[in-house]
Amino acid sequence: MNQIMSDKRVIALYTLPALLLISVLIYVPLVLTGYYGLMDWDGIGSMTFIGLENYAALITDGMFWSSAYHSLLLALFSVGSLVLYLAVSVVLAGNIKGADLFRKIFLIPMLLSSVAIAQLWMRIYHPTNGVMNRFLASIGIENPPLWLSDTSIVLFAIFIPIIWQYAGFYIIIYYAALKNIPKELVEAARIDGASPLQIAYKIKLPLISGVIKVTIVLAVIGSLKYFDLIYVMTDGGPNGASEVMASYMYKLAFRTNDFGYGSAVGFFLLVLILIVTYLIRKATTSKDDSIQY
Amino acid sequence: MASNTAAASPAEEVKTGFLRMSISKLILYIILGIVAVVQILPLIWLFLFSLKDNQEVFNLPPLALPSDPQWGNYARVWTEGNIGLYFFNSVIVTGTSVILTVLLASLVTFAITRMNWKLNKLVLGLFMVGLMIPVHSTLIPLFSFFSSVGLMDHHLSIILTYTAFNLPLTMMILLGFYYTLPRELEEAAVMDGCSIHRMFFRIILPITAPVVATTAIINMIYNWNEFVFVNTFISSDSLKTLTVGIQNFIGQYSTDWGAIGATLVISMLPILLAFLILSNRIVEGMTSGSVKG
Amino acid sequence: MKKKSFISLAALSTAAVFTLAACGGNDSEEASAGAGNNDNGEAAQEDVTIDFMHLWPQGSSPDHHRIVEDIISDFEEMHPHVTVELEVLENEQYKNKLQVVSSSNQLPDVGMTWPAGFLEPYVNGELFAPLDDVLEEDNMRDDFVAGTLEAYSVDEQAYAMPLELNIAPVFYNEAIFEENGVEVPETYDEFLEVIDTLADNGVTPIALGNRDRWTGSLWYMYLADRIGGSDALNSAIDRSGSFEDERLEEAASRIQEMVDHDAFISGFNGLSDQEAKAEFMNSNAAMYLIGSWDLPNYTTNEEIPQEFRDNIDFFKFPEVDGGEGNIDNWVGGPGVGLFVAENSDVKDESKAFVKHFTEEWGKRSVEDAGVIPGTQVNTDEVDLPDLFIDVLDDLNNASDITLFADVQMSSSVAETHLNMIQSLFGEEITPEEFVERHEEALEEDE
Repeated sequence: MNQIMSDKRVIALYTLPALLLISVLIYVPLVLTGYYGLMDWDGIGSMTFIGLENYAALITDGMFWSSAYHSLLLALFSVGSLVLYLAVSVVLAGNIKGADLFRKIFLIPMLLSSVAIAQLWMRIYHPTNGVMNRFLASIGIENPPLWLSDTSIVLFAIFIPIIWQYAGFYIIIYYAALKNIPKELVEAARIDGASPLQIAYKIKLPLISGVIKVTIVLAVIGSLKYFDLIYVMTDGGPNGASEVMASYMYKLAFRTNDFGYGSAVGFFLLVLILIVTYLIRKATTSKDDSIQY
Repeated sequence: MASNTAAASPAEEVKTGFLRMSISKLILYIILGIVAVVQILPLIWLFLFSLKDNQEVFNLPPLALPSDPQWGNYARVWTEGNIGLYFFNSVIVTGTSVILTVLLASLVTFAITRMNWKLNKLVLGLFMVGLMIPVHSTLIPLFSFFSSVGLMDHHLSIILTYTAFNLPLTMMILLGFYYTLPRELEEAAVMDGCSIHRMFFRIILPITAPVVATTAIINMIYNWNEFVFVNTFISSDSLKTLTVGIQNFIGQYSTDWGAIGATLVISMLPILLAFLILSNRIVEGMTSGSVKG
Repeated sequence: MKKKSFISLAALSTAAVFTLAACGGNDSEEASAGAGNNDNGEAAQEDVTIDFMHLWPQGSSPDHHRIVEDIISDFEEMHPHVTVELEVLENEQYKNKLQVVSSSNQLPDVGMTWPAGFLEPYVNGELFAPLDDVLEEDNMRDDFVAGTLEAYSVDEQAYAMPLELNIAPVFYNEAIFEENGVEVPETYDEFLEVIDTLADNGVTPIALGNRDRWTGSLWYMYLADRIGGSDALNSAIDRSGSFEDERLEEAASRIQEMVDHDAFISGFNGLSDQEAKAEFMNSNAAMYLIGSWDLPNYTTNEEIPQEFRDNIDFFKFPEVDGGEGNIDNWVGGPGVGLFVAENSDVKDESKAFVKHFTEEWGKRSVEDAGVIPGTQVNTDEVDLPDLFIDVLDDLNNASDITLFADVQMSSSVAETHLNMIQSLFGEEITPEEFVERHEEALEEDE
C-alpha cells in the first residue's frame, strides 16, 4: 500500500505538467512584476532601474492606502457574507421538497457576465430612475441617497452587487460539500432525536469545516484583488472613494503610463495577500488538524 | 430552539413540534420563494433589456416592457459579425480548458492529498500563490512570452492561460473533498491489485464527480465570459470568442446597449444549458456502500 | 450624396503614391539583411501585409466601418501586392492592447493614436515613425486644419495624421427653453438666470455624466477660458505660468456656484456620460455640453425621433463679464489619428496607406459618417444638415481651440486633474485646494 502510494514516478507524472504550466504562466509574470516594480517604466519605451523608489513612493501615497483600506473592507464583507451563503446552502441541501429547483434558480445570476451585472446595478442605483430610489420615493423618502456619487456610501453601494455576484459561487461549493456528507451520519443523528438545526450545527458544519476554511481564503484573496464591477460601475470614483488596489494598479499601469509604479502596487498586493492568507491559516488551523491548504 | 417547551408534556411537545415544523417550513418556503423570484428577475431584465432601444434602456424602469420590442437587435447580432464562428471558438476554448483544468487539478490534488511524499505541502503552497497574482500584472509578461514561443494569435495561448489561472482555484475547491475521502478507499483498491492510475481514473474521479462538476461549472463560467486575455493574445477575427460580440457594439463615443443585451442573451443560453446539465451531477456524494472499488 | 469637393483635396496625385510604393521593401535595412530578395529582381513587388488596428467596430460604427473597408479595398486595388489585415477593438481594450504590444515592440504597422499626452510616451519610446516626409508630398500639410497636426507633433515632427476634429458646443432643447420662457444666454450671468428659472420650474438644467470625469473637465475648461482667456490654462499646463492663478481659481469657484444653483443633474458624479446623455435625449434635461462627435444624434440618426432632433440647437459657451476670453474660443481638439510603427517592415507601404487613408477619409467622413475630419472641409459644397454646417462654420471661424485638458496634460497629471474635477463638482475641496493640487501635480511631473 504505502509503496504504491509513494511511487515517485507517479507523483512526478501527476504534478509536473501542472507545475510546469503555472511556473511559466504564473511565476514568470510574478517575478517580472516584482522586477518591473524596481523600474521607472511607462510600459512603452525603455526602462530605468530605480531600486526601491517606487516602494518608497507607495508609503506616502494616500490614494494607495485608501484603496488598500477599501480592499480590506471588501474582504471583511465578503467573509461575513459567507455565513449567509452557508445558511442558504444548508437549507438547499436539506431534505426539502423542490430543493433542486430552488438551487438551480439561486445559482442562475452567477452565469451573468460582469458586463450584464454592472448594467443591471447601474439601473438599480440610478439617482432618479433607479429601482432603489423610485422605491424610496414611493414610500415618501424625499432625498434618497445618491448611491454611486455620494463619497460616503459609494463603497458600500458597490459592495452589494459584488457580494451578490459571488453568491452562486460559494453556494455551489457549500452545496456540493454538504451533499458529500455520508447520509448514514445524518440519519443516525436524526434517529438519536437531533433537530435539523442541531444536525446542521453539530454534524454538518464540522464535517465541511475544511471547505469552509478554503472558502474563507478564497473570499479574502478574491476580494483583495477584486476589479471588475468597480472598474465598470464607478471607475474607482468619485475621486477614489471606491478605488481598490487592483483598480488603482490598473489605472497606474495602463492609464497614467506608470507601469513600474503600477507593478510595485501589484507586487505589494501579492505580498499583502500572502500575509493575510498566512494569518488566516494560523487562525483557523489547530494542531491536530489534518487539513492543510 | 426547544428551551421554552421544556415544561410541556411529551405529547404536547410532539404536537407543538409538528405545528412549529410546518409553520417554520411555510416561512422557509416563502423566503425561498422570494429569493428565487429576486434571483430570476435579472434574467427577465436582461431579456427585456435586449429588446429595448438606447433611449428606453436608460429611460424605462428596468422591468418595463419596451414599447416597440426591438427584435432587430437579435437580427443584427446574428448577421453582423461571425456569431457562429465565435460561438464555435468559445466552445473549443472553454471546453478544452475546462477539461484540462479539472483533470490536471484532480491529478495534482490526488498526488498532494493522497500520496506520501515530503514536498507535498511546499508544492501545494506553490500552487496557492498562483491565486494571488492580479490579472493585469500578467498581461505584458504573458504577451511577450507567447510571442517569443510563437503562440500569439493561437487558441493554445488562451487555453493554457485559462488553465494555469484556474488551476489553483480548482485545486482549492477539490482539496477539501479529497481530504474527506476515507483511506479505506485506496486500501481496498490496492488489495484488489488495482494500479494507481486505475485507482485514480476508476475510483477517485467517479467518486469526486459532484465536486468535479462543481469546479467544471465554475471554470466554464469564468472562461466563457473572459475577454481580457482573448483581446490581448488573439488578433485574428477568425479566432476570437463570443465576448468580442459585445465589443462589436461599443463605439468610440456611444454604445448600442440593446444589441449588447441581445449578444449577452445569446451567449448566455448555451452556458445556461450546460449549467443545468452539469448541475445535475452535484448529487448525493458517496455513501459507505460505494466504497467497493 | 456623393458631391464631395473639399479644399485642396480634389486632385490626389496617384503617381506620387505609386512612386512611394515602388520603394517598398527596398529600404536599406531589408536590402542588406535579405540579399536573397534581390535574386528575382522584383523585390519591390513582393507581397506584403499591412497590419492595421482600429477602434470602429462594425456593430457600433457601421458608417465608419464601411468607409474604412472602401478605402482599404481601393488601396489594395491600387497596390496589388499589398494586403491590409484588420484588427478591431473597442476603445478601452484598444488602448490596453496598444500598450501591451508596445512593451514588446510589436505595434501593428498602422494604428490609431490620440494626440499630445497619449502620444508622447510612444514617441519618446521611438515607436512611432515621423511622418514629415509624407506631409511634404503634395503639400499635404496644408490640407489639415491649422493646429491639428501640431497636436500630434513632438519637437515639430508630426507622428500621426489626424482623422477627427471636434469642438464642444452647448446643445440645448429649444422646446424646453420655450416652455420655460428662457432664451439662449450670452453671458454667464444670463446663463445662471436660465439655470435658476429651469431649476425653479422643476426642470433639470444640465445633463452631466461626471463619472467619466472629462465631461466635467469641459465645463471647467470653458470657464477657465472665458475668465482667463486661452492663455491662463495653456501657460499653466506648459509651465510658462502657474496653475495657482486667480483666474483659474475663479473658474473653479464658478463651477461650485453652478453646482449650488442646482445646474447639474442629480447624482452627476455617479453617472456615466451615456446615462447623462440619455436624460438629455429623453428631454429630461435642457442642456448638454459635449463634443461635436454627437452631432449625428441631433441631425441624421434615424433611430432618434425626428421631433427631438428638430428641437436641438447649440450655443457658444457664454462670456463671463470682465473675463479675458473670447466667445469664439472653443474647447475641443483632434481625436484619433493614424500612426505608422517605427519598426514596421513595410514602412513605405504603411506611409502610403496612411496618406491615402487620411485623404480619402477627409473626403467622405463628414457626409457619410458624421465625423469632422482633421483635414479641411468646404462647407459650401457638402450636403449636410444645417446644425452640422453651423458647427463647421464656427469651427472655421474659431479664434482659438483649447485642447481638452486631459489630452493636453501628461497622463499622470491628467489623472490628478480628472479626480480633482470630481471633487470640485462634489464640493469636497475648495477652489483654492483645487488649484494647489494641480500645481503640485504639474510640478512633480516636470
